[in-house]
Amino acid sequence: MNEARGMTLVCRGLDFSYEEGDVPIPALRDIGFDLGAGRSLALLGASGSGKSTLLQVIKGLDRPEAGEVLLDGAGPDDVSGRELRRQVGLVFQTPELQLFAASAREDVAFGPRRLGWSEATVTAAVDEALQLVNLPPEEFGGRHPYALSGGEQRRLALAGVLAMRPRLLLLDEPFVSLDPATRHELARILSRLRAGGVTLVLATHDVDLAWALCDQLLVLDEGRVAAAGAWELSESGRRVLAASRLREPFLVELWRRLGRDPAEAPRTVAEAAEALS
Amino acid sequence: MRPAVAQYYPGDSVIHRLDPRAKFVAVTALAITLFVRDSFAGLAVFAAAGVAAYALSGVPAAWFWRAFRPLLWLVGLTFLAQVLFAPGEPFFSFWIFDLSWEALQFAAFLSLRLVVLVLIGSVLTLTTPPLALTDGLAWLGRPLRKLRVPTDELALMVTIALRFIPTLLVELDQIMRAQRARGADFGSGGPVRRARALVPVLTPLFVLSFRRADELALAMEARCYRPGIVRTRLHPLRAGVRDAVLLLLTAAVIAVGLLV
Repeated sequence: MNEARGMTLVCRGLDFSYEEGDVPIPALRDIGFDLGAGRSLALLGASGSGKSTLLQVIKGLDRPEAGEVLLDGAGPDDVSGRELRRQVGLVFQTPELQLFAASAREDVAFGPRRLGWSEATVTAAVDEALQLVNLPPEEFGGRHPYALSGGEQRRLALAGVLAMRPRLLLLDEPFVSLDPATRHELARILSRLRAGGVTLVLATHDVDLAWALCDQLLVLDEGRVAAAGAWELSESGRRVLAASRLREPFLVELWRRLGRDPAEAPRTVAEAAEALS
Repeated sequence: MRPAVAQYYPGDSVIHRLDPRAKFVAVTALAITLFVRDSFAGLAVFAAAGVAAYALSGVPAAWFWRAFRPLLWLVGLTFLAQVLFAPGEPFFSFWIFDLSWEALQFAAFLSLRLVVLVLIGSVLTLTTPPLALTDGLAWLGRPLRKLRVPTDELALMVTIALRFIPTLLVELDQIMRAQRARGADFGSGGPVRRARALVPVLTPLFVLSFRRADELALAMEARCYRPGIVRTRLHPLRAGVRDAVLLLLTAAVIAVGLLV
């Protein structure tokens, strides 16, 4: 995983609609943004704003009606497009629902086997992925997925995607219904992945974790881009977040109330403590 | 959402407001006579009754058509099979096939009868919510309780099953997408390989369904559900003058259909 370098992601004018009977319900309208290799993006927006749809379009599970998704500059019809799409990992909301194998190791191996890797490579990738999500293979590898706790199942499902060594990782609400300890453990895992150079897109309602983990943001409002790019910490940025039923990150608010420049707000409590002491 | 075969269309027409029991009895009686009667004239009477009932229901033609369209191939197949293989005096022969006026007539009759049957049956399902239909069936099945058939429990099971079909379809789609994102391939290979490819989909779906069944049972018990006792209903079925009129009209249609 350490040598896995991030992929660049560019979306241009994406349109997508669902069919409801014969009536198309627009879900995405003219979505465009750039994400550099190894960068991380917080995908914010109210429920139903199109976050999950956008992730599935990026992964290629749905084809956009207009616009294109460029991975490392290649479109879906380029020769390299297919191979590059395989290097995109998508972690669905409540991914533990997709666990099916009789052991943790077998479940994680499902994806790598589909890639046609040799058994030795698959084993190495599974061990590495289980290690990455703090489920040591010697202890958890033989356990039945359904015998694990909710937080362990979530991490196991994440390992199932990480074992395919994605260069771009898409996560759909990974923190939902986790207790605070597990939530922070998962945040630490994502932070490690990010340090390892994987490009991240994180759809979430948790602005504090988004602030801690992501360099830039994309706010969706009813399928349209409400804000994109660097975190906008001014009055107008707060209004955009409020319109999507979100607030500014806690540490940004703290910095603003202390009379400091919110643009220099720390990303973590540890950084804040250091800056304040 | 695409309507399944003659799926309920919410409305407030005369037909919608009829008692589901009366509608069920009328449709069953019409369907049985339809099969007994074998003349075009009789068929025309039933067709007219079906069209009239459908017109009164106010269900848009597009909705009905979309539900009916998939059945067309069945009608076409019936027609073809009868035309080619029913006995008769052939006026045209080709290879092993004989074409006769008798066979043509017979085939036309059979396929038209199928169309009329579907039309009459659709009026019932188009204008009656599934819940009301199972309620009505449970009531009609009450005499069976004397034979210890748990009709109310059966009706509840059907109701719950109907209620969860759309939910299961959504979950099935989600799980299939998730496994496809992990490289699963559902569309290629022979039958054995395809069946094996479904394991990663069906296992989670079953686990999820069992878990939900467990939770639903707990929730029902928490709200004091006990099997085997007679419950009162929030909306008791109430038959009225309208329903008596429906049954009388049905009897009249059947009489005319049998006599012409």
